[in-house]
Amino acid sequence: MFIHYIDLAWRSLRQTPLVTFLMILAIAIGIGVTMTTLSVYHMMSMDPIPHKSDRLFSVQLQTMDDGETWRTPDDIPYQLTYTDAINLDALPGEYLRAPMLRSGFSVHLNTVSSKPFIENTRVTGRDFFTMFDLTFLHGNAWTEEQERDAAPVVVIDEEMAKQLFGKTDVVGESVFLGERRQEIVGVTKKWRPTIKFYDLNNGSFGEAERMFAPFSHVKAYDVDTWGNTNAWKFEETRDFNDKMNSEMVWVQFWVQLDTPQQHQAYGDMLMAYMQQQQKLGRFNRESLQYSLQDVNDWMRYNDVISEDNKILVGLSFMFLAVCVANILGLLLAKFMRRAPDVGVRRALGASKRQVFYQHLVEVGVLGLLGGGLGVLFAQLGLLGVSQTYDYYAGLANMDWIMLMSAPLLAISACILAGLYPAWLVCRTTPATHLKVQ
Amino acid sequence: MLDMKAISKVYQTEMVQTHALRDFNLHVAEGEFVAVTGPSGSGKTTFLNIAGMLEPFSGGQYCLDGVDIGKLNDNARADLRNQKIGFIFQGFNLIPDLNLYENVEVPLRYRGIKSAERKRRVEECLELVGLAGRAKHLPQQLSGGQQQRVAIARALAGRPRFLLADEPTGNLDSLMARQVMELLEQINREGATIVMVTHDPELARRAPRNIQIVDGRVTDFTLYQGRSAATPLAAGG
Ligand SMILES: Nc1ncnc2c1ncn2[C@@H]1O[C@H](COP(=O)(O)OP(=O)(O)O)[C@@H](O)[C@H]1O
Ligand SMILES: [Mg+2]
Repeated sequence: MFIHYIDLAWRSLRQTPLVTFLMILAIAIGIGVTMTTLSVYHMMSMDPIPHKSDRLFSVQLQTMDDGETWRTPDDIPYQLTYTDAINLDALPGEYLRAPMLRSGFSVHLNTVSSKPFIENTRVTGRDFFTMFDLTFLHGNAWTEEQERDAAPVVVIDEEMAKQLFGKTDVVGESVFLGERRQEIVGVTKKWRPTIKFYDLNNGSFGEAERMFAPFSHVKAYDVDTWGNTNAWKFEETRDFNDKMNSEMVWVQFWVQLDTPQQHQAYGDMLMAYMQQQQKLGRFNRESLQYSLQDVNDWMRYNDVISEDNKILVGLSFMFLAVCVANILGLLLAKFMRRAPDVGVRRALGASKRQVFYQHLVEVGVLGLLGGGLGVLFAQLGLLGVSQTYDYYAGLANMDWIMLMSAPLLAISACILAGLYPAWLVCRTTPATHLKVQ
Repeated sequence: MLDMKAISKVYQTEMVQTHALRDFNLHVAEGEFVAVTGPSGSGKTTFLNIAGMLEPFSGGQYCLDGVDIGKLNDNARADLRNQKIGFIFQGFNLIPDLNLYENVEVPLRYRGIKSAERKRRVEECLELVGLAGRAKHLPQQLSGGQQQRVAIARALAGRPRFLLADEPTGNLDSLMARQVMELLEQINREGATIVMVTHDPELARRAPRNIQIVDGRVTDFTLYQGRSAATPLAAGG
């Protein structure tokens, strides 16, 4: 019977091509708008590293004096001081850790033909690659010795390798960061998480870096951050050395803690560290406070999904509701015009339920068609979004969950619109329309 | 088979109340062939619709095969209609989107009959009304008489035990009308109970039992041939 209803639906839709076209267009536009906002929202709220997001923790320390406030919910600064980052990196224990900041360099090959270009660079520890799941195509991360000695080494990704050398296997080649010659020790596979969750300071959706340098370069070569530096008290800083020794916060720090025991032990260690620092005259506070937030908590804490985005999704659903109301009107007219046929079917033994079902199948088919077109509209919408706002570039696309939900949403919306007209048409006494001939 | 006691039907429109049926009493026994005549607007179609459970009645009691219709819900009535009753409407009431074959197939589908059996019956019935060659045509491609024959084929396809026909020959020439009458007589012989509204006195005379509806009442009762079911007016068996 279902196949038969699909057949009937198809004929009925072809019977009134203009009305059908209008209804499909209405639902497609509604779905297009809704899916555009919903897709962006979905990508924003997606766990960027699902299999270990609950084991990676962003470390925060309350370094500020008592009475100071910050614009975070718990008043703890987002970032660490350089001093703390270096000290935490040196704490003992078998766990992965990575201090990090975003910097950048003018990159070239020091040949006549190579044109220098500016490249964002993640300056970090060697554990970074393991912690955040980067894979090496060639070579490896720099060694512990190289890290300690601030050896002139870098890791780049395949895309950058191709850009510079036209191939990916470039381990051992040299690249210049400004005046400094660095040896490439590893080439990673392209790595572009949709959300730059490990550093949410300057745009949550910016592109991930393609080049990586040891964190020891910061001190060795005065590598300053290209991200935020925040001060909470006045300190005179005449040079970079002063900045490194200051209470300004500008370094991110992540640890990977695999078990609750590790988590507990690390927390204890942080407390002990702060107490020790207090003796040195820092952390002027009654109560010491640290925070370890896993990836998803960290994204919530940083308001990755802004209030605006939520409002936008709400508005788009309201727009969809308007489309549904329009379709409802058209369906009502269409179904009521067909009421005599329904009377005949009822007289020939169709139950109300069968008639109702037949009409719902028809609106379902309508929804499917509208949903298909809606996906197309959504793709256009997302293209528009990513072309207009670079910021959203990585987010403006539909994964398969979104592609599947578009027709489902369209069908549900159409069925919602069709419920009342279908109920009305099957409710009328069959004879009403049979007599009027 | 059909048993109506003091059935009344009132249509309430904004301004007027129409008593389409009043104190309507009728008994039709299994296997009868009843011709119903009466002036236009007297309530013949209303009576057939109520008999076929296509609309509710305002008062009285209606039993079909001993089942009190007033006590059934809509689903049960749809089932009964589907299982027992065939309709030939005053207007043909063919479904315009469906071709002849599909129109005739409609009641069979709702009865859940398998596709091979449906095909057999549809073809047989279209053959019977002389339209087998036009199975793929749409209703609007046919003349009124042809459409009427499709409507008859549709009613017969379901092999109803109880056939309600509202002027089935109204759109047919006298030759065709006689053929349809013969068809009805044949299925009556095969056991179907038939109630047929007609304007044609000649056709009415051919029916074993005649009743007349005037102003919403069964006013006349004529027995042309002796039939055991024939009981005086309003006796209801
Ligand atoms: N749906 C309706 N609403 C209001 N009045 C109706 C309706 N159907 C029939 N009537 C009235 O009921 C009376 C009987 O109608 P009907 O049964 O169609 O007569 P017949 O079939 O004998 O010509 C008529 O006066 C008609 O106007
Ligand atoms: Mg009539």
